Amino acid sequence: MSLGYGAVGWNRQKRIYDRLIVGGILAYLGVFIALGLALFPEATLETILLRGLGTCAFLLLHIVLSIGPLARLDARFLPWLYNRRHLGVSTFVVGLFHAVFSLVQFHALGDENPLVSVLVSNTRWSSVSSFPFQQLGLAALAILFLMAATSHDFWLKNLTAPVWKALHMSVYVAYGLLVMHVALGVLQTETNPLYAIVLCAGVAWIVGVHLLAGWREKSRDVDLVRARDEFVDVCAVDEIPEKRARVVMLAGERVAVFRYDGKISALSNVCQHQNGPLGEGRIIDGAITCPWHGFQYKPDCGRAPEPFTERVPTFRSRVVAGRVQVDPRPLAAGAHVEPALIAGEQGGERNGS
Amino acid sequence: MAAEPHDPVDGEFYVGYMPEAPPRLARRTRGLVLALAAFVLAFGALLVSGQAGFGYGVFEYGTEREFEGVIEAAPYPVLAIARPGGGASRYLLSSFGKHGAMPLVSDVVGRRVQLRGTLAYRDGLTMIEVVEGSVKPVEGLTLPVEPAARDLGEVTLIGEIVDSKCYLGVMKPGNTKAHRDCAVRCISGGIPPVLLVRDSAGNASYYLLVGENGESLNDAVLDLVAEPIEIRGQLRRYGDLQSLHAAPATFRRL
Repeated sequence: MSLGYGAVGWNRQKRIYDRLIVGGILAYLGVFIALGLALFPEATLETILLRGLGTCAFLLLHIVLSIGPLARLDARFLPWLYNRRHLGVSTFVVGLFHAVFSLVQFHALGDENPLVSVLVSNTRWSSVSSFPFQQLGLAALAILFLMAATSHDFWLKNLTAPVWKALHMSVYVAYGLLVMHVALGVLQTETNPLYAIVLCAGVAWIVGVHLLAGWREKSRDVDLVRARDEFVDVCAVDEIPEKRARVVMLAGERVAVFRYDGKISALSNVCQHQNGPLGEGRIIDGAITCPWHGFQYKPDCGRAPEPFTERVPTFRSRVVAGRVQVDPRPLAAGAHVEPALIAGEQGGERNGS
Repeated sequence: MAAEPHDPVDGEFYVGYMPEAPPRLARRTRGLVLALAAFVLAFGALLVSGQAGFGYGVFEYGTEREFEGVIEAAPYPVLAIARPGGGASRYLLSSFGKHGAMPLVSDVVGRRVQLRGTLAYRDGLTMIEVVEGSVKPVEGLTLPVEPAARDLGEVTLIGEIVDSKCYLGVMKPGNTKAHRDCAVRCISGGIPPVLLVRDSAGNASYYLLVGENGESLNDAVLDLVAEPIEIRGQLRRYGDLQSLHAAPATFRRL
């Protein structure tokens, strides 16, 4: 969390993460180029470099797209999520190098402006095998640029989380364009079935891991509201570990029900930063802490500790005979709700207000 | 029914802005990073080793040589260099980048010249990338250095239209789909278009593509490069060059 905007809010974990990104990219390119020139001495460095950058960017995009669903499936991947934006920006930068080298290699020093040439050299739109694949790559790069340019929290705040999130979902459009860029480009030249198999495996992995994560989410999302109840029984107090939450679906919205210090508080499960799952977070230093990027909220009012300004909707709760009950009607974001007290832990059972 | 709360690793909880990651989670993350790094490097090695090869064209980049011969334009610019034992070798000419050489030699067609340039060659076909400003007329024998073109009759050939400069070795690979845009740019810029034909054993033959009336076909073939194509036309041998004369409208995509 940060109050002002800097280019990057550096911390130790981000530095480690970024060093691994840069080191990984350089190591990949080093292996690709060295092995390429050793195995194919007749090859030109430009082509090997161009292919190394292209495959590197595409591989990075697979990793970026895998982190979200993997973190939903296994919490061990949460550290990968924390600085995923830097990985996304790195993907764009490597893709940009690939594009610039391609532009110079295939379009520069000719009788047309290279930027015009890339759009007009191949216009066989009606053909499958001759379809203009470079334009597909260019369109994907434009999307990745838009995402990289708006990746900063400044844009997240000013565009609002839903708009920003929708914009960044276009990464899947970019991924689809790049799959076609590869299938209609280099796969039409390289006849080794290895590449078609690898591309199909990559697509199957991305689709599969997303479907699996979605299915897991869906299977959890059983709405507990069956009538217009004021309060809905959600679970026994003992089912919620201390300083953690249980996530329940109430009237179509996920609600995080936290237990801490003999009290119960219920809030929207959706972090205002990037829609992270607050209910999978912890209460640290008295504040609910999002597992994605560590944004914090006070459990009794859903407000970020001052001077931060994020707020999430709250819900009324109560404890009856060791059972937690929550009113499924959300209160305004940041509305104070007296926590429900747990009998025997805070001196008796009491309804939340 | 409800979602089970995540239990990140053995009760540990990661917060990115904390200076240290929880120890067990950090250890497991390090293991995952190492596994991913090994996978990525092995994957890169697999991808690079599976490539089909890049062809054995040669471009003597950085090496300029002096040449002397007669400039011909039939219709693409060619330097005919007399062989010591008689006859002549014909080298296609191009200019720097994706440009043809005609602007450099148009006023010396039919004349003996000295010029400087860089060689590109493959399968017996050679091109000189002419250094701009190096073409100088000299006294000596002019056309013809050997008998005129011989007509070898009508043929039907199946192959791929390539730009002769890249395919001879300037770019690798210099043909097929991945190179299509570059070939379009080169041919549009005046590089001679060539029909590349391979026999069943993979041996390559090259045919300069020329119109029915001897005109250049640079603009006419732009939409047809890098695709399997069938051309029926008049085959002519012109010294050690072969040309296929046909109307572009009859070129057939396969």
